Amino acid sequence: MEAIGKQVALPLRRAATIAVRGIRIRLGRSLVTVSGVVLGIAFLMSNLTAQIIKTAVSAEQAQRQTVDLMMSLVSAETGEVTGRALAVAVFGEISDDERAFVARMLRARPASFRALGLELAGLTPATASTLGAGASLLMILGNAPSASAALSDLTAGMTGKVVLDTVAERRFDGGPAADVRRELFFGKQAEARQAELASVARSERFRITWIVVVSLLVTVVTVANALLMSVTERFREIGTMKCLGALSKFIRRLFLIESALIGLAGSLLGVLTGALLTMTIYGFTYRFSLVFFSIHYGWMLLAACGAVACGTVMSMAAAIYPARVAARMVPADALRSTV
Amino acid sequence: MEQLFRGENEAGKLDHVIRAVDVRKVYRMGDSETHALAGVSLDVRRGEYLSIMGPSGSGKSTFFNMIGGLDKPTAGKVYIDQVDIAQLDPYELAWLRCRKVGYIFQSFNLIQVMSCIENVTLPMAFAGMDSETAREKALDILERVGLADRALHKPAEMSGGQQQRVAIARSLANSPDILLADEPTGNLDLKTGEEIINLFTKLREELGLTVITATHDLKMLKRSDRVVWIEDGLITRVSSPEEMNIEIAEIGGE
Repeated sequence: MEAIGKQVALPLRRAATIAVRGIRIRLGRSLVTVSGVVLGIAFLMSNLTAQIIKTAVSAEQAQRQTVDLMMSLVSAETGEVTGRALAVAVFGEISDDERAFVARMLRARPASFRALGLELAGLTPATASTLGAGASLLMILGNAPSASAALSDLTAGMTGKVVLDTVAERRFDGGPAADVRRELFFGKQAEARQAELASVARSERFRITWIVVVSLLVTVVTVANALLMSVTERFREIGTMKCLGALSKFIRRLFLIESALIGLAGSLLGVLTGALLTMTIYGFTYRFSLVFFSIHYGWMLLAACGAVACGTVMSMAAAIYPARVAARMVPADALRSTV
Repeated sequence: MEQLFRGENEAGKLDHVIRAVDVRKVYRMGDSETHALAGVSLDVRRGEYLSIMGPSGSGKSTFFNMIGGLDKPTAGKVYIDQVDIAQLDPYELAWLRCRKVGYIFQSFNLIQVMSCIENVTLPMAFAGMDSETAREKALDILERVGLADRALHKPAEMSGGQQQRVAIARSLANSPDILLADEPTGNLDLKTGEEIINLFTKLREELGLTVITATHDLKMLKRSDRVVWIEDGLITRVSSPEEMNIEIAEIGGE
Protein backbone atom coordinates (compact mmCIF):
# COMPACT_ATOMS: atom_id res chain seq x y z
CA MET A 1 0.00 0.00 0.00
CA GLU A 2 1.28 3.38 -1.00
CA ALA A 3 0.78 6.29 1.38
CA ILE A 4 -1.68 8.92 0.27
CA GLY A 5 0.10 12.18 -0.48
CA LYS A 6 -1.18 15.71 -0.57
CA GLN A 7 -2.00 17.29 -3.87
CA VAL A 8 0.21 20.29 -4.66
CA ALA A 9 -1.21 23.56 -5.93
CA LEU A 10 -0.61 24.32 -9.58
CA PRO A 11 1.65 27.34 -10.18
CA LEU A 12 -0.16 30.59 -10.89
CA ARG A 13 1.27 30.76 -14.39
CA ARG A 14 -0.35 27.46 -15.40
CA ALA A 15 -3.68 28.59 -14.00
CA ALA A 16 -3.32 31.90 -15.87
CA THR A 17 -2.59 30.09 -19.15
CA ILE A 18 -5.71 27.97 -18.75
CA ALA A 19 -7.80 31.02 -17.78
CA VAL A 20 -6.59 33.04 -20.76
CA ARG A 21 -7.41 30.19 -23.12
CA GLY A 22 -10.87 29.93 -21.58
CA ILE A 23 -11.47 33.62 -22.23
CA ARG A 24 -10.21 33.35 -25.82
CA ILE A 25 -12.46 30.41 -26.64
CA ARG A 26 -15.51 32.00 -25.04
CA LEU A 27 -14.62 35.35 -26.57
CA GLY A 28 -18.22 36.33 -27.29
CA ARG A 29 -19.49 36.10 -23.76
CA SER A 30 -16.23 37.37 -22.32
CA LEU A 31 -16.66 40.50 -24.44
CA VAL A 32 -20.15 41.03 -23.05
CA THR A 33 -18.74 40.83 -19.53
CA VAL A 34 -15.88 43.13 -20.51
CA SER A 35 -18.31 45.68 -21.94
CA GLY A 36 -20.05 45.84 -18.56
CA VAL A 37 -16.76 46.87 -16.99
CA VAL A 38 -16.05 49.25 -19.88
CA LEU A 39 -19.31 51.12 -19.28
CA GLY A 40 -18.79 51.47 -15.54
CA ILE A 41 -15.17 52.56 -15.79
CA ALA A 42 -15.83 54.84 -18.78
CA PHE A 43 -18.44 56.63 -16.66
CA LEU A 44 -16.02 56.93 -13.75
CA MET A 45 -13.20 58.15 -15.99
CA SER A 46 -15.46 60.57 -17.82
CA ASN A 47 -16.42 62.21 -14.52
CA LEU A 48 -12.81 62.36 -13.36
CA THR A 49 -11.75 63.89 -16.68
CA ALA A 50 -14.60 66.38 -16.54
CA GLN A 51 -13.48 67.37 -13.07
CA ILE A 52 -9.89 67.85 -14.20
CA ILE A 53 -10.91 69.84 -17.27
CA LYS A 54 -13.31 71.99 -15.27
CA THR A 55 -10.64 72.71 -12.68
CA ALA A 56 -8.20 73.73 -15.39
CA VAL A 57 -10.71 75.70 -17.45
CA SER A 58 -12.24 77.33 -14.42
CA ALA A 59 -8.81 78.53 -13.32
CA GLU A 60 -8.45 80.05 -16.77
CA GLN A 61 -11.96 81.52 -16.58
CA ALA A 62 -11.49 82.82 -13.08
CA GLN A 63 -8.37 84.64 -14.26
CA ARG A 64 -10.23 86.16 -17.17
CA GLN A 65 -12.99 87.29 -14.83
CA THR A 66 -10.49 88.84 -12.43
CA VAL A 67 -8.72 90.65 -15.26
CA ASP A 68 -12.09 91.84 -16.62
CA LEU A 69 -12.98 93.23 -13.23
CA MET A 70 -9.62 95.03 -12.90
CA MET A 71 -9.97 96.44 -16.41
CA SER A 72 -13.47 97.74 -15.70
CA LEU A 73 -12.19 99.54 -12.58
CA VAL A 74 -9.37 101.10 -14.59
CA SER A 75 -11.71 102.38 -17.26
CA ALA A 76 -14.08 103.66 -14.57
CA GLU A 77 -11.22 105.80 -13.27
CA THR A 78 -9.63 107.00 -16.50
CA GLY A 79 -11.99 106.08 -19.33
CA GLU A 80 -10.44 104.37 -22.39
CA VAL A 81 -6.97 103.02 -21.69
CA THR A 82 -5.86 103.63 -25.27
CA GLY A 83 -3.77 106.78 -25.54
CA ARG A 84 -3.47 107.30 -21.76
CA ALA A 85 -0.30 107.61 -19.78
CA LEU A 86 -0.21 104.91 -17.10
CA ALA A 87 2.14 103.76 -14.38
CA VAL A 88 2.53 100.52 -12.47
CA ALA A 89 4.53 99.73 -9.33
CA VAL A 90 5.10 96.19 -8.07
CA PHE A 91 6.00 95.42 -4.46
CA GLY A 92 6.70 91.79 -3.59
CA GLU A 93 5.68 88.89 -5.83
CA ILE A 94 3.38 89.57 -8.76
CA SER A 95 0.56 87.01 -9.23
CA ASP A 96 -0.41 85.38 -12.54
CA ASP A 97 -3.70 87.30 -12.53
CA GLU A 98 -1.86 90.59 -12.12
CA ARG A 99 0.63 89.73 -14.83
CA ALA A 100 -2.26 88.84 -17.19
CA PHE A 101 -3.85 92.17 -16.26
CA VAL A 102 -0.72 94.12 -17.17
CA ALA A 103 -0.46 92.24 -20.44
CA ARG A 104 -4.10 93.12 -21.22
CA MET A 105 -3.42 96.77 -20.45
CA LEU A 106 -0.45 96.73 -22.82
CA ARG A 107 -2.63 95.25 -25.58
CA ALA A 108 -4.97 98.25 -25.15
CA ARG A 109 -2.08 100.48 -26.32
CA PRO A 110 -1.65 103.21 -23.69
CA ALA A 111 0.40 106.24 -24.79
CA SER A 112 2.98 105.46 -22.15
CA PHE A 113 3.30 102.81 -19.46
CA ARG A 114 6.02 103.31 -16.94
CA ALA A 115 6.84 100.55 -14.48
CA LEU A 116 8.68 100.14 -11.20
CA GLY A 117 9.79 96.67 -10.11
CA LEU A 118 8.43 94.89 -13.19
CA GLU A 119 10.18 94.20 -16.46
CA LEU A 120 8.05 93.35 -19.42
CA ALA A 121 8.28 94.16 -23.15
CA GLY A 122 6.34 97.42 -23.76
CA LEU A 123 6.87 98.79 -20.26
CA THR A 124 9.18 101.73 -19.68
CA PRO A 125 11.38 101.19 -16.61
CA ALA A 126 11.27 104.03 -14.12
CA THR A 127 12.42 104.94 -10.62
CA ALA A 128 10.17 105.87 -7.71
CA SER A 129 10.58 109.57 -8.45
CA THR A 130 10.10 109.45 -12.25
CA LEU A 131 7.23 106.94 -12.22
CA GLY A 132 4.26 109.31 -11.87
CA ALA A 133 5.30 112.05 -14.31
CA GLY A 134 2.31 112.81 -16.58
CA ALA A 135 0.40 109.63 -15.72
CA SER A 136 -3.32 109.72 -15.04
CA LEU A 137 -3.41 106.45 -13.05
CA LEU A 138 -1.00 104.49 -10.91
CA MET A 139 -1.60 100.82 -10.25
CA ILE A 140 0.12 99.10 -7.35
CA LEU A 141 0.45 95.33 -7.62
CA GLY A 142 2.31 92.54 -5.80
CA ASN A 143 1.74 90.86 -2.49
CA ALA A 144 4.12 92.75 -0.17
CA PRO A 145 2.25 94.20 2.88
CA SER A 146 4.53 97.19 3.03
CA ALA A 147 5.89 99.22 0.12
CA SER A 148 9.45 100.49 0.21
CA ALA A 149 8.52 103.91 -1.20
CA ALA A 150 6.45 106.90 -0.16
CA LEU A 151 3.07 107.37 -1.82
CA SER A 152 3.84 111.04 -2.37
CA ASP A 153 7.04 110.14 -4.26
CA LEU A 154 5.30 107.58 -6.40
CA THR A 155 2.51 109.97 -7.37
CA ALA A 156 4.74 112.98 -7.94
CA GLY A 157 3.93 114.66 -11.27
CA MET A 158 0.69 112.78 -11.93
CA THR A 159 -2.11 114.65 -13.67
CA GLY A 160 -4.74 113.20 -11.33
CA LYS A 161 -3.48 111.61 -8.19
CA VAL A 162 -5.44 108.32 -8.38
CA VAL A 163 -3.97 105.03 -7.19
CA LEU A 164 -5.52 101.56 -7.60
CA ASP A 165 -4.11 98.96 -5.20
CA THR A 166 -4.60 95.18 -4.98
CA VAL A 167 -3.73 94.87 -1.27
CA ALA A 168 -5.99 96.72 1.17
CA GLU A 169 -3.60 96.64 4.15
CA ARG A 170 -0.52 97.82 2.25
CA ARG A 171 1.50 100.42 4.17
CA PHE A 172 3.71 102.99 2.50
CA ASP A 173 6.80 104.79 3.75
CA GLY A 174 5.68 108.04 5.33
CA GLY A 175 2.06 106.91 5.73
CA PRO A 176 -0.91 107.87 3.56
CA ALA A 177 -0.63 111.04 1.44
CA ALA A 178 -3.48 113.53 1.86
CA ASP A 179 -3.79 114.58 -1.78
CA VAL A 180 -3.79 111.02 -3.19
CA ARG A 181 -7.02 109.07 -3.71
CA ARG A 182 -6.25 105.36 -3.12
CA GLU A 183 -8.87 102.87 -4.32
CA LEU A 184 -8.85 99.06 -4.08
CA PHE A 185 -9.25 96.58 -6.96
CA PHE A 186 -11.08 93.98 -4.84
CA GLY A 187 -13.73 94.77 -2.26
CA LYS A 188 -15.78 92.62 0.09
CA GLN A 189 -18.39 91.71 -2.56
CA ALA A 190 -15.86 89.85 -4.69
CA GLU A 191 -14.89 87.58 -1.80
CA ALA A 192 -18.51 86.69 -0.95
CA ARG A 193 -19.19 85.68 -4.55
CA GLN A 194 -16.17 83.38 -4.60
CA ALA A 195 -17.28 81.61 -1.42
CA GLU A 196 -20.74 81.02 -2.92
CA LEU A 197 -19.24 79.54 -6.08
CA ALA A 198 -17.07 77.20 -4.02
CA SER A 199 -20.08 75.87 -2.07
CA VAL A 200 -22.03 75.22 -5.29
CA ALA A 201 -19.04 73.33 -6.67
CA ARG A 202 -18.81 71.24 -3.49
CA SER A 203 -22.44 70.08 -3.58
CA GLU A 204 -22.12 69.35 -7.31
CA ARG A 205 -19.04 67.21 -6.64
CA PHE A 206 -20.90 65.28 -3.92
CA ARG A 207 -23.81 64.54 -6.26
CA ILE A 208 -21.47 63.27 -8.99
CA THR A 209 -19.57 61.06 -6.52
CA TRP A 210 -22.85 59.47 -5.48
CA ILE A 211 -23.90 58.72 -9.08
CA VAL A 212 -20.46 57.28 -9.89
CA VAL A 213 -20.53 55.00 -6.83
CA VAL A 214 -23.98 53.68 -7.79
CA SER A 215 -22.88 53.05 -11.37
CA LEU A 216 -19.82 51.13 -10.13
CA LEU A 217 -21.99 48.98 -7.88
CA VAL A 218 -24.19 48.18 -10.86
CA THR A 219 -21.05 47.14 -12.74
CA VAL A 220 -19.99 44.81 -9.92
CA VAL A 221 -23.42 43.15 -9.92
CA THR A 222 -23.34 42.78 -13.71
CA VAL A 223 -19.92 41.13 -13.68
CA ALA A 224 -20.88 38.86 -10.78
CA ASN A 225 -23.99 37.79 -12.68
CA ALA A 226 -22.06 37.10 -15.86
CA LEU A 227 -19.47 35.05 -13.99
CA LEU A 228 -22.16 33.10 -12.15
CA MET A 229 -23.67 32.22 -15.52
CA SER A 230 -20.23 31.21 -16.71
CA VAL A 231 -19.83 28.93 -13.67
CA THR A 232 -23.19 27.28 -14.33
CA GLU A 233 -22.22 26.82 -17.94
CA ARG A 234 -19.00 25.13 -16.92
CA PHE A 235 -20.38 22.82 -14.22
CA ARG A 236 -19.33 19.75 -16.16
CA GLU A 237 -15.91 21.12 -16.99
CA ILE A 238 -15.26 22.02 -13.35
CA GLY A 239 -16.45 18.59 -12.23
CA THR A 240 -14.20 16.89 -14.75
CA MET A 241 -11.21 18.93 -13.61
CA LYS A 242 -11.92 17.94 -10.03
CA CYS A 243 -12.07 14.28 -11.06
CA LEU A 244 -8.67 14.72 -12.67
CA GLY A 245 -7.20 16.00 -9.40
CA ALA A 246 -7.81 19.76 -9.47
CA LEU A 247 -7.91 21.36 -6.04
CA SER A 248 -10.73 23.72 -5.08
CA LYS A 249 -8.04 26.36 -4.77
CA PHE A 250 -7.16 25.90 -8.43
CA ILE A 251 -10.79 26.28 -9.56
CA ARG A 252 -11.16 29.41 -7.42
CA ARG A 253 -7.95 30.78 -8.86
CA LEU A 254 -9.11 30.09 -12.40
CA PHE A 255 -12.17 32.28 -11.95
CA LEU A 256 -10.33 35.01 -10.07
CA ILE A 257 -7.69 35.26 -12.78
CA GLU A 258 -10.35 35.30 -15.45
CA SER A 259 -12.22 38.11 -13.74
CA ALA A 260 -9.02 40.05 -13.09
CA LEU A 261 -8.15 39.90 -16.79
CA ILE A 262 -11.68 40.87 -17.77
CA GLY A 263 -11.50 43.74 -15.28
CA LEU A 264 -8.12 44.89 -16.57
CA ALA A 265 -9.13 44.82 -20.23
CA GLY A 266 -12.48 46.47 -19.48
CA SER A 267 -10.93 49.22 -17.37
CA LEU A 268 -8.22 50.04 -19.91
CA LEU A 269 -10.83 50.34 -22.64
CA GLY A 270 -13.15 52.22 -20.32
CA VAL A 271 -10.46 54.72 -19.30
CA LEU A 272 -9.61 55.37 -22.95
CA THR A 273 -13.23 55.82 -24.04
CA GLY A 274 -14.19 57.88 -21.02
CA ALA A 275 -11.23 60.26 -21.25
CA LEU A 276 -11.35 60.80 -25.03
CA LEU A 277 -15.13 61.21 -25.16
CA THR A 278 -15.17 63.75 -22.36
CA MET A 279 -12.23 65.71 -23.78
CA THR A 280 -13.97 65.87 -27.16
CA ILE A 281 -17.26 67.04 -25.66
CA TYR A 282 -15.56 69.72 -23.57
CA GLY A 283 -13.50 70.63 -26.62
CA PHE A 284 -16.72 71.53 -28.43
CA THR A 285 -18.18 73.41 -25.44
CA TYR A 286 -15.07 75.47 -24.74
CA ARG A 287 -12.24 75.54 -27.23
CA PHE A 288 -10.14 72.50 -28.13
CA SER A 289 -6.93 74.46 -27.60
CA LEU A 290 -8.13 75.66 -24.21
CA VAL A 291 -9.08 72.10 -23.12
CA PHE A 292 -5.94 70.39 -24.36
CA PHE A 293 -3.49 73.01 -23.09
CA SER A 294 -5.06 73.65 -19.73
CA ILE A 295 -5.46 69.98 -18.68
CA HIS A 296 -3.09 68.85 -15.96
CA TYR A 297 -1.76 65.64 -17.54
CA GLY A 298 -0.17 64.38 -14.34
CA TRP A 299 -3.59 64.32 -12.72
CA MET A 300 -5.06 62.65 -15.80
CA LEU A 301 -2.48 59.85 -15.52
CA LEU A 302 -3.24 59.48 -11.83
CA ALA A 303 -6.98 59.32 -12.53
CA ALA A 304 -6.43 56.73 -15.28
CA CYS A 305 -4.29 54.51 -13.03
CA GLY A 306 -6.85 54.85 -10.25
CA ALA A 307 -9.72 53.92 -12.58
CA VAL A 308 -7.87 50.85 -13.93
CA ALA A 309 -7.03 49.67 -10.41
CA CYS A 310 -10.61 50.30 -9.33
CA GLY A 311 -12.02 48.34 -12.30
CA THR A 312 -9.70 45.38 -11.75
CA VAL A 313 -10.32 45.18 -8.03
CA MET A 314 -14.09 45.56 -8.55
CA SER A 315 -14.13 42.79 -11.12
CA MET A 316 -12.20 40.49 -8.80
CA ALA A 317 -14.52 41.35 -5.93
CA ALA A 318 -17.44 40.41 -8.18
CA ALA A 319 -15.81 37.02 -8.81
CA ILE A 320 -15.47 36.05 -5.14
CA TYR A 321 -18.93 34.54 -4.84
CA PRO A 322 -19.05 32.78 -8.25
CA ALA A 323 -15.55 31.39 -7.66
CA ARG A 324 -16.67 30.00 -4.32
CA VAL A 325 -19.70 28.35 -5.88
CA ALA A 326 -17.45 26.73 -8.47
CA ALA A 327 -14.77 25.66 -5.99
CA ARG A 328 -17.17 24.13 -3.48
CA MET A 329 -18.88 21.96 -6.04
CA VAL A 330 -18.82 18.22 -5.29
CA PRO A 331 -17.49 16.53 -8.43
CA ALA A 332 -20.29 13.97 -8.44
CA ASP A 333 -22.92 16.75 -8.51
CA ALA A 334 -21.06 18.59 -11.20
CA LEU A 335 -20.99 15.54 -13.44
CA ARG A 336 -24.65 14.74 -12.88
CA SER A 337 -25.74 18.16 -14.08
CA THR A 338 -26.69 18.35 -17.71
CA VAL A 339 -26.57 22.12 -18.00
CA MET B 1 -18.69 -16.98 -4.17
CA GLU B 2 -14.94 -17.61 -4.15
CA GLN B 3 -15.06 -19.66 -7.29
CA LEU B 4 -16.22 -16.59 -9.19
CA PHE B 5 -12.87 -14.92 -8.83
CA ARG B 6 -10.53 -15.49 -11.67
CA GLY B 7 -6.84 -14.72 -11.75
CA GLU B 8 -6.43 -15.33 -8.05
CA ASN B 9 -2.77 -14.91 -7.14
CA GLU B 10 -0.66 -17.89 -6.18
CA ALA B 11 -0.51 -17.13 -2.49
CA GLY B 12 -4.27 -17.26 -2.47
CA LYS B 13 -4.41 -13.98 -0.57
CA LEU B 14 -7.19 -11.63 -1.45
CA ASP B 15 -5.77 -8.32 -2.52
CA HIS B 16 -8.67 -5.92 -2.51
CA VAL B 17 -8.10 -2.66 -4.33
CA ILE B 18 -11.54 -1.37 -3.41
CA ARG B 19 -13.70 -2.40 -0.46
CA ALA B 20 -17.16 -1.06 0.19
CA VAL B 21 -18.64 -1.95 3.58
CA ASP B 22 -22.36 -1.43 4.16
CA VAL B 23 -22.37 1.81 2.14
CA ARG B 24 -25.50 3.94 2.45
CA LYS B 25 -26.36 7.20 0.76
CA VAL B 26 -29.38 9.29 1.59
CA TYR B 27 -30.36 12.36 -0.42
CA ARG B 28 -32.52 14.88 1.38
CA MET B 29 -34.89 17.05 -0.59
CA GLY B 30 -36.78 19.17 1.89
CA ASP B 31 -38.75 16.73 4.06
CA SER B 32 -38.45 13.69 1.83
CA GLU B 33 -35.49 11.32 1.96
CA THR B 34 -34.31 9.21 -0.92
CA HIS B 35 -32.23 6.16 -0.08
CA ALA B 36 -30.03 5.88 -3.14
CA LEU B 37 -27.94 3.15 -1.50
CA ALA B 38 -29.34 1.01 1.31
CA GLY B 39 -26.27 -0.88 2.53
CA VAL B 40 -24.00 -2.13 -0.24
CA SER B 41 -20.90 -4.21 0.44
CA LEU B 42 -18.49 -5.22 -2.28
CA ASP B 43 -14.83 -6.17 -2.55
CA VAL B 44 -13.02 -5.57 -5.81
CA ARG B 45 -9.86 -7.53 -6.39
CA ARG B 46 -6.73 -6.09 -7.95
CA GLY B 47 -6.64 -6.70 -11.69
CA GLU B 48 -10.29 -7.63 -11.84
CA TYR B 49 -12.69 -6.57 -14.59
CA LEU B 50 -15.96 -5.80 -12.89
CA SER B 51 -19.20 -4.72 -14.49
CA ILE B 52 -22.02 -3.07 -12.60
CA MET B 53 -25.51 -3.39 -14.02
CA GLY B 54 -28.79 -1.91 -12.97
CA PRO B 55 -31.70 0.10 -14.27
CA SER B 56 -31.48 3.89 -14.11
CA GLY B 57 -32.39 5.14 -10.66
CA SER B 58 -31.13 1.93 -9.06
CA GLY B 59 -28.29 3.68 -7.25
CA LYS B 60 -25.75 2.36 -9.70
CA SER B 61 -24.24 5.76 -10.48
CA THR B 62 -24.24 6.75 -6.82
CA PHE B 63 -22.34 3.58 -5.94
CA PHE B 64 -20.02 4.26 -8.79
CA ASN B 65 -19.25 7.76 -7.49
CA MET B 66 -18.63 6.34 -4.00
CA ILE B 67 -16.04 3.80 -5.04
CA GLY B 68 -14.36 6.40 -7.22
CA GLY B 69 -13.95 8.83 -4.33
CA LEU B 70 -16.17 11.42 -6.03
CA ASP B 71 -18.78 11.41 -3.28
CA LYS B 72 -18.79 10.50 0.40
CA PRO B 73 -21.25 7.95 1.81
CA THR B 74 -23.82 8.94 4.43
CA ALA B 75 -22.95 5.77 6.37
CA GLY B 76 -20.57 2.87 5.85
CA LYS B 77 -17.01 2.85 4.63
CA VAL B 78 -15.28 2.90 1.28
CA TYR B 79 -11.63 1.86 1.17
CA ILE B 80 -9.54 2.58 -1.88
CA ASP B 81 -6.21 0.77 -1.53
CA GLN B 82 -7.03 0.19 2.14
CA VAL B 83 -7.48 3.91 2.76
CA ASP B 84 -10.81 5.03 4.17
CA ILE B 85 -11.73 7.89 1.87
CA ALA B 86 -13.97 9.50 4.50
CA GLN B 87 -10.81 10.24 6.51
CA LEU B 88 -9.09 12.14 3.71
CA ASP B 89 -8.84 15.92 3.62
CA PRO B 90 -9.53 17.73 0.32
CA TYR B 91 -5.83 17.78 -0.62
CA GLU B 92 -5.46 14.02 -0.11
CA LEU B 93 -8.73 13.37 -1.91
CA ALA B 94 -7.52 15.38 -4.90
CA TRP B 95 -4.24 13.48 -4.79
CA LEU B 96 -6.12 10.18 -4.81
CA ARG B 97 -8.39 11.19 -7.70
CA CYS B 98 -5.36 12.39 -9.57
CA ARG B 99 -3.11 9.32 -9.25
CA LYS B 100 -5.07 6.29 -8.08
CA VAL B 101 -8.18 6.43 -10.19
CA GLY B 102 -8.77 7.11 -13.87
CA TYR B 103 -12.29 8.25 -14.76
CA ILE B 104 -14.05 7.70 -18.05
CA PHE B 105 -17.47 9.17 -18.70
CA GLN B 106 -20.38 8.33 -20.96
CA SER B 107 -20.26 11.77 -22.57
CA PHE B 108 -16.43 11.81 -22.66
CA ASN B 109 -16.22 15.11 -20.70
CA LEU B 110 -13.16 16.34 -22.53
CA ILE B 111 -12.31 19.97 -21.89
CA GLN B 112 -13.60 21.46 -25.12
CA VAL B 113 -11.26 24.45 -25.11
CA MET B 114 -8.16 22.24 -24.99
CA SER B 115 -6.53 20.18 -27.67
CA CYS B 116 -6.30 16.42 -27.42
CA ILE B 117 -2.79 16.43 -25.96
CA GLU B 118 -3.61 19.25 -23.54
CA ASN B 119 -6.50 17.20 -22.22
CA VAL B 120 -4.12 14.31 -21.59
CA THR B 121 -1.43 16.47 -19.96
CA LEU B 122 -3.88 18.29 -17.67
CA PRO B 123 -3.95 15.59 -14.93
CA MET B 124 -0.16 15.39 -15.16
CA ALA B 125 0.03 19.14 -14.56
CA PHE B 126 -2.24 18.68 -11.54
CA ALA B 127 0.17 16.00 -10.34
CA GLY B 128 3.03 18.48 -10.57
CA MET B 129 4.80 16.95 -13.58
CA ASP B 130 6.87 19.38 -15.65
CA SER B 131 5.39 20.11 -19.06
CA GLU B 132 8.20 18.56 -21.12
CA THR B 133 7.98 15.15 -19.43
CA ALA B 134 4.19 15.38 -19.49
CA ARG B 135 4.21 16.03 -23.21
CA GLU B 136 6.36 13.01 -23.93
CA LYS B 137 4.29 10.77 -21.71
CA ALA B 138 1.05 12.05 -23.25
CA LEU B 139 2.31 11.32 -26.77
CA ASP B 140 3.26 7.85 -25.58
CA ILE B 141 -0.22 7.20 -24.19
CA LEU B 142 -1.91 8.63 -27.29
CA GLU B 143 0.19 6.26 -29.37
CA ARG B 144 -1.08 3.44 -27.20
CA VAL B 145 -4.74 4.35 -27.87
CA GLY B 146 -3.97 4.91 -31.55
CA LEU B 147 -4.37 8.68 -31.73
CA ALA B 148 -0.77 9.93 -31.94
CA ASP B 149 -1.54 11.73 -35.21
CA ARG B 150 -4.48 13.61 -33.69
CA ALA B 151 -2.58 15.15 -30.76
CA LEU B 152 -3.26 18.75 -31.73
CA HIS B 153 -6.92 18.39 -32.69
CA LYS B 154 -9.70 19.85 -30.60
CA PRO B 155 -12.37 17.46 -29.24
CA ALA B 156 -15.03 19.07 -31.44
CA GLU B 157 -13.07 18.02 -34.52
CA MET B 158 -13.13 14.34 -33.61
CA SER B 159 -15.63 11.52 -33.78
CA GLY B 160 -17.24 10.06 -30.66
CA GLY B 161 -15.00 7.01 -30.69
CA GLN B 162 -11.90 9.15 -31.02
CA GLN B 163 -13.04 11.43 -28.22
CA GLN B 164 -13.56 8.43 -25.96
CA ARG B 165 -10.04 7.24 -26.81
CA VAL B 166 -8.69 10.63 -25.77
CA ALA B 167 -10.69 10.34 -22.56
CA ILE B 168 -9.17 6.92 -21.95
CA ALA B 169 -5.69 8.31 -22.64
CA ARG B 170 -6.43 11.09 -20.17
CA SER B 171 -7.56 8.61 -17.52
CA LEU B 172 -4.23 6.81 -17.88
CA ALA B 173 -2.20 10.01 -17.54
CA ASN B 174 -0.92 9.41 -14.01
CA SER B 175 -0.72 5.61 -14.30
CA PRO B 176 -3.69 4.85 -12.03
CA ASP B 177 -4.41 1.46 -10.44
CA ILE B 178 -8.12 1.66 -11.08
CA LEU B 179 -10.09 2.61 -14.18
CA LEU B 180 -13.68 3.67 -13.56
CA ALA B 181 -15.84 3.85 -16.65
CA ASP B 182 -19.46 5.01 -16.48
CA GLU B 183 -21.25 3.59 -19.54
CA PRO B 184 -18.20 4.18 -21.73
CA THR B 185 -19.93 2.83 -24.84
CA GLY B 186 -23.31 4.42 -24.11
CA ASN B 187 -22.88 7.23 -26.60
CA LEU B 188 -21.15 5.19 -29.28
CA ASP B 189 -22.38 3.03 -32.15
CA LEU B 190 -21.92 -0.76 -32.03
CA LYS B 191 -18.69 -0.98 -33.97
CA THR B 192 -16.96 1.91 -32.22
CA GLY B 193 -18.18 0.56 -28.91
CA GLU B 194 -16.53 -2.75 -29.65
CA GLU B 195 -13.27 -1.02 -30.48
CA ILE B 196 -13.38 0.75 -27.14
CA ILE B 197 -14.06 -2.55 -25.35
CA ASN B 198 -11.07 -4.12 -27.11
CA LEU B 199 -8.96 -1.20 -26.01
CA PHE B 200 -10.06 -1.69 -22.41
CA THR B 201 -9.20 -5.38 -22.51
CA LYS B 202 -5.82 -4.65 -24.07
CA LEU B 203 -4.93 -1.93 -21.56
CA ARG B 204 -6.01 -4.09 -18.68
CA GLU B 205 -3.78 -6.92 -19.80
CA GLU B 206 -0.82 -4.68 -20.61
CA LEU B 207 -0.97 -2.42 -17.57
CA GLY B 208 -2.54 -4.72 -14.99
CA LEU B 209 -5.34 -2.25 -14.26
CA THR B 210 -8.45 -2.92 -12.25
CA VAL B 211 -11.36 -1.97 -14.50
CA ILE B 212 -14.82 -1.20 -13.18
CA THR B 213 -17.56 -0.29 -15.62
CA ALA B 214 -21.21 0.56 -15.29
CA THR B 215 -22.79 -0.70 -18.46
CA HIS B 216 -25.76 -2.21 -20.28
CA ASP B 217 -23.59 -3.32 -23.14
CA LEU B 218 -23.81 -7.11 -23.48
CA LYS B 219 -20.41 -7.28 -25.14
CA MET B 220 -18.82 -5.55 -22.17
CA LEU B 221 -20.56 -7.89 -19.74
CA LYS B 222 -19.19 -10.90 -21.58
CA ARG B 223 -15.60 -9.71 -21.24
CA SER B 224 -15.85 -9.03 -17.51
CA ASP B 225 -14.84 -11.32 -14.65
CA ARG B 226 -17.87 -10.55 -12.54
CA VAL B 227 -21.17 -8.79 -13.04
CA VAL B 228 -22.78 -7.03 -10.09
CA TRP B 229 -26.49 -6.25 -10.26
CA ILE B 230 -27.83 -3.31 -8.32
CA GLU B 231 -31.54 -2.72 -7.82
CA ASP B 232 -33.26 -0.28 -5.46
CA GLY B 233 -29.99 0.57 -3.76
CA LEU B 234 -29.00 -3.01 -3.01
CA ILE B 235 -26.80 -5.63 -4.65
CA THR B 236 -29.24 -8.31 -5.75
CA ARG B 237 -26.85 -10.63 -7.50
CA VAL B 238 -23.20 -11.24 -8.32
CA SER B 239 -22.70 -13.57 -11.23
CA SER B 240 -20.12 -14.67 -13.77
CA PRO B 241 -20.67 -13.89 -17.46
CA GLU B 242 -21.13 -17.65 -18.18
CA GLU B 243 -24.18 -17.78 -15.93
CA MET B 244 -25.48 -14.67 -17.62
CA ASN B 245 -25.12 -16.17 -21.04
CA ILE B 246 -27.49 -18.93 -20.04
CA GLU B 247 -30.04 -16.44 -18.74
CA ILE B 248 -29.89 -14.33 -21.83
CA ALA B 249 -30.24 -17.43 -23.96
CA GLU B 250 -33.28 -18.40 -21.91
CA ILE B 251 -34.88 -15.02 -22.34
CA GLY B 252 -34.05 -15.14 -26.04
CA GLY B 253 -35.56 -18.61 -26.30
CA GLU B 254 -38.93 -17.65 -24.94
